[in-house]
Amino acid sequence: MSFAKPTTLSREQVAEFEREVNAIRDGVMNNLGQADVDHIRAMIRISRASEIGGRALLHFGMGPLSWVAGVLALANAKILDNMEIGHNVMHGQYDWTGDPALNSQTFEWDIACDGEQWRHSHNVTHHTYTNILGKDRDLGYSLLRMTDEQKWKPRHWFQPLANLMLAMGFQYGVGSHDLEIGRYKHGAMPKAEFRARLDRFLTKVGKVWFKDYLLFPALALWSAPRVLAGNFCANLIRNLWTYLIIFCGHFTEGVAIYREEDTRNETRGDWYIRQLSGSSNLTGGRLFHIMSGHLSHQIEHHLFPDMPAHRYPEVAPQIQALCRKYGLFYNTGSLFKQYLTVMKRILTYTLPPKRVAV
Amino acid sequence: MSLAVLSTPSRHGPGPRRSTVSTRWVHAVNAPLVKALHHPWVESIVRLSAVEDALVALHPLLSLTQVRARVLRIVDETASTQTFVLQPNALWLGAQAGQFVRVQLEINGRRVERAYSLSSRPGTRRIAITVKRQDQGLASRHLHAAVKVGDVLTISQALGEFVLPSVPPSRMLLLSAGSGITPVMAMLRDLRARRYQGDVVFLHVCKSQADLIFAAQLKAIAADFAELSLVVHYTAGAGPLSPEVLAVEVPDLAQRSTWMCGPTGFMDAVSGYWQREGINAPLMREQFVGAALLPSTAPGTPVNVSLISSGASFTTWGTEPLLVQAERAGLSPKHGCRIGICRSCQCVKTSGTVENLQTGEVSSAPNELIRLCISTARSDVVLAL
Repeated sequence: MSFAKPTTLSREQVAEFEREVNAIRDGVMNNLGQADVDHIRAMIRISRASEIGGRALLHFGMGPLSWVAGVLALANAKILDNMEIGHNVMHGQYDWTGDPALNSQTFEWDIACDGEQWRHSHNVTHHTYTNILGKDRDLGYSLLRMTDEQKWKPRHWFQPLANLMLAMGFQYGVGSHDLEIGRYKHGAMPKAEFRARLDRFLTKVGKVWFKDYLLFPALALWSAPRVLAGNFCANLIRNLWTYLIIFCGHFTEGVAIYREEDTRNETRGDWYIRQLSGSSNLTGGRLFHIMSGHLSHQIEHHLFPDMPAHRYPEVAPQIQALCRKYGLFYNTGSLFKQYLTVMKRILTYTLPPKRVAV
Repeated sequence: MSLAVLSTPSRHGPGPRRSTVSTRWVHAVNAPLVKALHHPWVESIVRLSAVEDALVALHPLLSLTQVRARVLRIVDETASTQTFVLQPNALWLGAQAGQFVRVQLEINGRRVERAYSLSSRPGTRRIAITVKRQDQGLASRHLHAAVKVGDVLTISQALGEFVLPSVPPSRMLLLSAGSGITPVMAMLRDLRARRYQGDVVFLHVCKSQADLIFAAQLKAIAADFAELSLVVHYTAGAGPLSPEVLAVEVPDLAQRSTWMCGPTGFMDAVSGYWQREGINAPLMREQFVGAALLPSTAPGTPVNVSLISSGASFTTWGTEPLLVQAERAGLSPKHGCRIGICRSCQCVKTSGTVENLQTGEVSSAPNELIRLCISTARSDVVLAL
C-alpha cells in the first residue's frame, strides 16, 4: 500500500465539496435538541443498570449460567461506557447541552486509559492528523507495520502475535499510547515529562485494578474468585470488541495513507477528503451501531467528530451520495469482510518488503 | 427579567444568613459525603452524577449537591407576570431580603440559567420568585408556558449584595420600576415582619394599574403598616418619573437610604441626579441585564479580553482567533489542534459576544463554552481562564 495521490478534483470542486459537507453538518447541528440528550441519558442509564445487574449476578449468583450472564452484562456496561458514552462525550458531542455530567473536558471513563491522555492522543493527534504517516500515532499504534512506507524490522516477524496481545489487552494499549515511549527512547521527550505521563497512566491503571480486581472481589468474600474471574472476562470481552471495531475503522483495505508534505496547505475541503479516504465503515443494524459507539460510521465520525454520534446513520446516505457525485471511494462493508482485510494487511506487512508481491 | 450579580455593596453590610438548626445538621453530614464522592478514587468506582441521578429517581427533591425546589403554587400577578412559590430541599441555606437565585432550566436539551430576585420574605421555608414574561425571553417564556405545579426546579443558593442591613436605617426609600419591584418587595415584607419602627417610603413606577405587580399584597401591607408610605407612579397617566418628579414625590430623599431596582436607564437617571445634587445618603442599586443580544463590534475594533483566574487581560481587534491573540499577548492557554476539532482550548466565556469563525454564528449567551481557536471577540469578553 502506498501513499494516497493528491486528489484529482479541481480546487473549485474541493471548495464545492466543502460547502456541501458543511451544509450536511449544519442540517443536523442546527436542530440538536431534547431527543439527542434523551438518547445519551438513556445510554447512561442502560450502562449503569447493566453494570449493577452484572456485578450483582457475579456477586450473588449461583452456578455457571448466572456467571456467564453477569460477565455479559458487565461487558455490555463497559462497552457502552467506552464507546457510545465515553468516546462520544469526550469528543464534545454533548457540550452544547451545558450539562456538567456530559462535559467533554472533565468526563472520565471506566477503562485503563486516563481521560485527559485520551483527549490528547485521540482528539488532538489522531483526529487532526488522521492517517498522516509519522504524525498519526494511531497508524499501527507504533507496534504494527501497516504499510510499505513503514520500515520493516526483524521484530515485525512477531506482528501476528503482537496483534493478538494488543487485542486482548487493548485498554492498556490505548492507555499507554500517549506515553509516546518511542519518542522518549529516542531522546525527543524530557525524562520529567515522560515520568509525569507514566505516573498518570499508572494511577489510572491502579484505579481500575483496585476496583475490578481488589475491591469488588473482596466485597464478595468467599465468592472472590468468581467475581475476580468475571471482572477479568468482562474486561477481556470489552478489549476484544473495542479492538475489533477500532481496527476496522482505519486499517481496512483501500484506506488512504498520507505524506505530511502533501497535507501542508490543506483547506477544510482537503481535510474532509482526507478524513473520508482515511476511514472505513461497517454495515449493521441499530444495536450494532450503538454497541460500536457508532464508530461503525467511522467516516461520518471523522468528518463530524463533535456531532452526536447517533445522528451518523441519518447523514451517512447524504455523504454516500456526495461520494458518488465526486467519484470518491466510500469504504464500507460487513464486520467480517472488513476485518478480513485488516488481517490480510497485518499478515502481509509481517513479511519483509522484498518478498511482497505488490 | 433577569438580574446580574453586580450590585452596589451595601454600606451597612449584610445581615446574618438565616439558617435553621436542621439545615446546619444536613450540611454537616452532607459536606464530608460530597467531599468523599469527589475524591478521584471514589469517583472511579461510582460517579457523583450516578449517585445524584439515583437520588432523584428515589425522590425528585433529593440531592447531595443541588438545591432543588418543588413548585407549590403559581400565582398570576399581572397578565405577563407570575409568582412561583417554591419549596426548597434541606440544602437551602436561606436568603436575605433583596437577594436572587440562579434558576437552572433545561430547554430543548440545553441548560439555561437565569437570575431571579426572590420576592418572598426571608426566614420562611417557602420561597418565591416573580417572573415577567419577555417576548424574546427564552427562560421566562419557558417558565410561564412549560413549568407546572409539582415540577422541580434546580436553583442556586441565594446570591447578591443588594440586601438590607441587620439594623435598618431609620429613614428609607424603596424605589423600583417595572419588574424591578421583586427584590424591594422582599425587603418590604422583611421590614414588616421585623416590626420596623422607622419611616419607609415604597415608591414604584409602572405603566398602569393593570401592570402593578403585587397590587393586592401592597394594599394589604399598607393597611396595617403605619410606618409605610406607599406611592405608585403610573407612567400612562403621569408620564415617566424623572428624578425631579421623584424629588417632589419624596421631598426628603436626601435624608433617606435608598434601595433601587429597575431598568438601567431609570437607575442611571436617578444615580445621576444623586451626583448632581450632591446627595450623600446611601444609594444601593440592583442591576438588570436583559436577555437580548449584546451589540457586537466590527472586526478591527479594539476590544478588551479579561481572564478571571489568571487576572490577565489583553486587547484584540477581532480579526484573529482568541487563541492566537492570547498567545501574541504572551499568554499560553491550553490548546491542541488549532482548527476547532479537539476542544482542548475550550473554556467558559463568562460574558461578552464572540463570533464562531467557522460557522459565522455570533453569540452573547453568558457562561457559554467556546473554543478559543475558532472564536473571535465581538465585544469586551470575560473568560474563566
